[in-house]
Amino acid sequence: MGSEKPSRYWKSWEEGPGATGLVQISTSEFPEPLDRPAEQFNRRSFLKAAGFAAAVAAAGAGCSRAPVEKAIPYLIQPEEIVPGVSYFYASTCGGCATGCGVLVKNLDGRPIKLEGNPEHPLSRGGLCAVGQASLLALYDSQRLKAPQAKGRIASWQEVDEQIAAQLASIRTSGGAVRVLSGTISSPTLNAEIQKFLLQFRDARHVVYDGLSSSAILDAHQQTHGERLLPHYRFNRATVIVSFDADFLGTWISPVEFSRDFADGRRIDSRSPQMSYHAQLESRMSLTGSKADRRISVEPHELGEIMLRIGARLAQLAGSAFPIAARTQDNSYDTVIEDLARRLWESRGRSLVVCGSQDVRLQILGNFINDLLGNYGATLDIERPSQQRQGNDANLQSLLDDLDKGNVAALFLHGVNPAYDLPGGQALVQAIERTPLVVSFAERLDETSALAHFICPDHHPLESWSDAEPVRGTLGIFQPAIHPLGKTRPVLESLAIWRGQPRPAYDILRDHWRGSVFPQQTIEPDFQTFWDRSVEAGYSEIRLKTSKPPRFQAASLKPFSQSSPAAGELSLVLYPKISMLDGRHAENPWLQELPDPISKVTWDNYACLSPGTAQRLGLREGDVVRLEVDIDAVHSPPLELPVFIQPGQHDQVIAVALGYGRKSTERFANAGPKWLFGGSDVDEDGRIGKNTAPMLALVGGSLQYIRDNVRLSKIGKRHALASTQTHHSLTMPRELPIVGGEHRDIVRETTIAALLAGEKKTVPVSPATNGLWPADHRYTGHRWAMAIDLTACTGCSGCVIACQAENNIPVVGKDEVLRHREMHWMRIDRYYTGEQDVDVVYQPMLCQQCDNAPCETVCPVLATVHSAEGLNQQIYNRCVGTRYCANNCPYKTRRFNWFDYVRNDRLQNLVLNPDVTVRSRGVMEKCSFCVQRIEVARIESNRVGKPIADGQIQTACQQSCPSQAIVFGDLNDPNSRVAQMARDPRRFGVLEEFNFRPAVNYLTVVRNRDSHEENSKVNQNNG
Amino acid sequence: MADFVLTTRAPLIAGNKTPADVTRDICHSLEGRPTPLWWGSFLFAASLLLLGTLAVSYEIATGIGTWGVNRTVGWAVGITSFVFWIGIGHAGTLISAILFLLRQRWRTSVNRSAEAMTIFAVICAGIFPVIHLGRPWMAYWLFPYPNTRGSLWVNFRSPLVWDAFAISTYFTISLVFWLLGLIPDLATVRDRLRGGFRQRLASVMSLGWNGSFRTWHRYESVYLMLAGLATPLVLSVHTIVSWDFATGVIPGWHATIFPPYFVAGAIFSGVAMVLTLVIVARKTMHLEDYITLRHIDVMCKLLLLTSGIVGIAYVTEFFNALYSTNPYEEFAFLNRAFGPLGWAYAIMVSCNVLIPQLLWFRKVRRTLWIVFPISILINVGMWFERFVIIVTSLQRDFLPSSWAGYRPTPIELSMLLGSFGLFFTLFLLFCRLLPVVAMAEVKGVLHVGREPRGPDPERVMVGSSAQGRGMDAAGIREGGPE
Repeated sequence: MGSEKPSRYWKSWEEGPGATGLVQISTSEFPEPLDRPAEQFNRRSFLKAAGFAAAVAAAGAGCSRAPVEKAIPYLIQPEEIVPGVSYFYASTCGGCATGCGVLVKNLDGRPIKLEGNPEHPLSRGGLCAVGQASLLALYDSQRLKAPQAKGRIASWQEVDEQIAAQLASIRTSGGAVRVLSGTISSPTLNAEIQKFLLQFRDARHVVYDGLSSSAILDAHQQTHGERLLPHYRFNRATVIVSFDADFLGTWISPVEFSRDFADGRRIDSRSPQMSYHAQLESRMSLTGSKADRRISVEPHELGEIMLRIGARLAQLAGSAFPIAARTQDNSYDTVIEDLARRLWESRGRSLVVCGSQDVRLQILGNFINDLLGNYGATLDIERPSQQRQGNDANLQSLLDDLDKGNVAALFLHGVNPAYDLPGGQALVQAIERTPLVVSFAERLDETSALAHFICPDHHPLESWSDAEPVRGTLGIFQPAIHPLGKTRPVLESLAIWRGQPRPAYDILRDHWRGSVFPQQTIEPDFQTFWDRSVEAGYSEIRLKTSKPPRFQAASLKPFSQSSPAAGELSLVLYPKISMLDGRHAENPWLQELPDPISKVTWDNYACLSPGTAQRLGLREGDVVRLEVDIDAVHSPPLELPVFIQPGQHDQVIAVALGYGRKSTERFANAGPKWLFGGSDVDEDGRIGKNTAPMLALVGGSLQYIRDNVRLSKIGKRHALASTQTHHSLTMPRELPIVGGEHRDIVRETTIAALLAGEKKTVPVSPATNGLWPADHRYTGHRWAMAIDLTACTGCSGCVIACQAENNIPVVGKDEVLRHREMHWMRIDRYYTGEQDVDVVYQPMLCQQCDNAPCETVCPVLATVHSAEGLNQQIYNRCVGTRYCANNCPYKTRRFNWFDYVRNDRLQNLVLNPDVTVRSRGVMEKCSFCVQRIEVARIESNRVGKPIADGQIQTACQQSCPSQAIVFGDLNDPNSRVAQMARDPRRFGVLEEFNFRPAVNYLTVVRNRDSHEENSKVNQNNG
Repeated sequence: MADFVLTTRAPLIAGNKTPADVTRDICHSLEGRPTPLWWGSFLFAASLLLLGTLAVSYEIATGIGTWGVNRTVGWAVGITSFVFWIGIGHAGTLISAILFLLRQRWRTSVNRSAEAMTIFAVICAGIFPVIHLGRPWMAYWLFPYPNTRGSLWVNFRSPLVWDAFAISTYFTISLVFWLLGLIPDLATVRDRLRGGFRQRLASVMSLGWNGSFRTWHRYESVYLMLAGLATPLVLSVHTIVSWDFATGVIPGWHATIFPPYFVAGAIFSGVAMVLTLVIVARKTMHLEDYITLRHIDVMCKLLLLTSGIVGIAYVTEFFNALYSTNPYEEFAFLNRAFGPLGWAYAIMVSCNVLIPQLLWFRKVRRTLWIVFPISILINVGMWFERFVIIVTSLQRDFLPSSWAGYRPTPIELSMLLGSFGLFFTLFLLFCRLLPVVAMAEVKGVLHVGREPRGPDPERVMVGSSAQGRGMDAAGIREGGPE
């Protein structure tokens, strides 16, 4: 046509011909034009509108009067608080003694989310479910808000005076003072406790862990002459053999280990390479579920197998081995030979870990690691770990002292012995007999209820403190909020009772100035060092290394383990990933977190293997009574529902620790209450049963395995609230299936197959050319996710991260039983194989399909597609037909069946103001953390730079300890997500239906020779 | 059409009735006091309605959580009952419109109650989509009305929107059709009553009917046109309801066979419901002469036909699933028949396909105590058909991780009972307030006047002329009891 286009001059390459949608910064909110027609507003419409407006205004003004509420703005804006803008403070996680680094996200003056600190040398950005959930404990309205003296609320002055008076008399009388604590890795607190104890003639600090690793430390005492816990370096190991150590789940430092483990197994599809991991265990643990080779053994067989591997390795090394294998049983010969060969071939690059509480086994493990030259390589004892310091022998002598009434004053910090030790009523009475019992507990628990004084400590997010999880790696706790109650840090309490009252901050700083600062060489000036450390949340100091202790071969002594007769059952008490030793039992997020393996929430249960359950005629949910004879005394029987756990050894009953806490009585009203709603707690008003009475403190270590368990059916049933009731991708056999169908939802392969360049087993090519033109052109960004299923350990940190980020309600046990859990992110777990099962995990969230089945069926357009590929749920438009949820092939949509319980106003402070709290009757689902995308977009517009790859991290991705989840822009060919989407291992779930999911999964790879190896080996074992 | 003389078949109306007899017989039940049986039934139905009302109120106040539905099975008893009632509502229009166009004169005895049933069933059906919403107070958002929310409109791709249109259209047309058909009869009622509320109501609703030729002429034209308009609706409504499922991606829903399958099923269940009702009505209201065994027989044949279509649909579904080689489809159907809800499938097949085979026998078709339970069983089977389609398809779809069961709560079951309460309450009121048989139309098919040996030559003349109907009204006025 005749119209002339004015020529455009460009000033830089990016702006001119080089401009693509990616580097251009979008200035408008909507990258695509809104399809609103140009409005013709003529005189007539104006008059109509004006008339209507006048009429409505007249009617409205006559009808109602808005109440006058005067809002007063800040005259001077408080520093750092900008409404709607979040700040991150680096701190340390107080969820357990592991001491992972966190970034505390503060919004409007309060912490609303914990994120892993990517700079932290140990956790490197990951954070586990417990760590994520520890935020909720800050806003627990049942946390003690003031000190208590003899069961009633008192003032600090009152409490201090009374304690000081009693301590003064102890000082003169020379009575025994004991501090009983969990592992304290804080150097400042440890120093302060020592200073406090120095005032007394007979004073001792006794440490125990509910999940004890005491045997490892004791073994090193014998083999290396020093009571230490090695710092395990899984990333340096190419062969990992674990004897019942659940290092990805609950053992010592799972976040760090998960990252290390995943780093050793990241597959580059061009030259695939990964570490080899064998797990020998009796129950099905998270770690076992990820093993390349998992051998299910009777607990007492572990020692025998270890012995024979040790003997074989000694033979290979040509050194002497003092212990003869006991039996001539050759059932594990092939396994032993294979493992010994693999370990020997990777000398110095292998790692043997053992989770047993039998010191002799640990010594054997040390011998093997020493023989393989792993000390100094994959086990660091120069800079040992301090994450488990419990000394069960000391604990035993303290309990004896308590029993004899020899203790004058008992200080309890971070422990709950009346709950988690086997002593039972005798221990309770012994504590009650003690003249002075002071607890620093944050809540009224089983033990603090017995204390004369409760001097509640701050929540870790309220206090100044430090941690040294691994020697030379220090973390700082810095407060992110003003204390919510009249609590006081332990550091201050001890200082006051010592007669030198000082603020915790000063104590901490002085300790760092005196003890930490001189050990480092980088910063010349303490203030700079301090500021840097506080800003980063951690500090690494180079220690002056002394020669690490050497292995002393003499410590290896012959031993024999008696194994129970065939058919007899052993009880294995294990920590669940969410409950650990029960310290967070009052945390509803953790109670409702499905166990990664069993998928059961809100309960503990007796896991039995399918074979044993069949033999005993038990079905899932049958209540059984477990009885163990402890020291010839009849133990209190334990009544638990049966859960059938594939992969578990036939002679084992596994029961989780940490349940049956008194504090779980609060969950009676956890979920919505209605006419026909069931109870959210058990008949005794609690969640689960306490298994601690079944523990045994014998031979100087806490034993989690008990023999000679009697099991009897009592004829009751107990429903287990499971979020997944079908466990296999092979269709149920009771249906006559044509062709024995196996669903291609998760893909698995082996390293051997990858090396051989095997093509995908089931080539599925989604229809690439649709019948209709694409609805969306995705000219700007196109958000997508990639999840490496090889890296995913199923640890469920992402589930809680998502819950915290997106204000996901807790629904209670009864609602979970009705299949109405609300988690946006779930971990699907499938078993493969018949007898010896493999486990695969698949994080499942809204797949943000390009051809989303939910979008077409919503009658009111409450779920629509964005121009950047997001499937958006518009809560205030939703009328709740639930058609979208029905039509979602991935069943990732969640409906608000009720108005969920949010009447705890303090707890509501945890809500993320950036995310709507959904009301009853609307649908919700994963949004790809759209609020985070928007924050990044605003920031990008503000600074005028395009959004960089990795700048947006979804909550699940941020938290993932093994970095399995990657989010980014698929339109940017260099983004990590785009690279992963091009990986040959990539597949989409149900892609053959042309839903075009935006979540790309990478096939599970196991380090095996072929597909069949595992099953073959296990069949040989019978 | 009045020249059409039934010579080879038995008369449609037994008892050699005169038009005056017809008026007297039909109006008799309206004019007397209600019987204890009526009161008993009414109180029972009303208490069911009350139970349902309480359940619905509780559900709306508390949340959909009071139902047994869950994250996997989002629809169950609510939508099942919706489809069930819509299906019931089909027979009315079929009988009144399609059979009218097809000149099936036997329809005249049952069309009034069938149409009433349609209206009430659609009312029952219309309640469920509203109360099953998470936020029922926002239900009006399903209609495209001009709003101030920018270009926000309904989603025309969603079958739920089409549902809203289809059902409201169907309800409107059915209601108009029914009210129109009532006009001559209401005029009769008006003329027989002496004052009172009912007389005034009849007088308003009969729209000044005077029985003139012109009135009759207009009436017949409009009736014919409305019948023509309503006919496609019989096919469209349930076709659209079936799209609620057919447009989904869920195996067991995603099937092109659904529209004919659903329409046949709807007619099947509707006719069964008409049978249930007329068998009761003919007994209690002494209408044996109007609703004869021949009517029952014809409707049973209709049942047999539709049962056959439904049966073929069941087989075809299975064949399609197995022939598709789509493992998800194959599994969905095997799971439907042999999975945890296999018992529901067994009820469905036996009630809908096996039991109706008895109707091949003329003896069975004419034995009321066999036909009556069959008609009820068919409706049980048809309710379960919808339940099976909805719940078994949802409970085990693509990802086994999300498979779940479903168990209804007492609230849901109360609502289902309440919908029956509403239906029967309305129907019992209808029996008391309006003529249950279309008098004017029945008079058109009377034997009287069709044979030369009529008892009264005057009446022979009335029956044989094209204007006969017009004079019927007059005849009633003359012959009616004072």
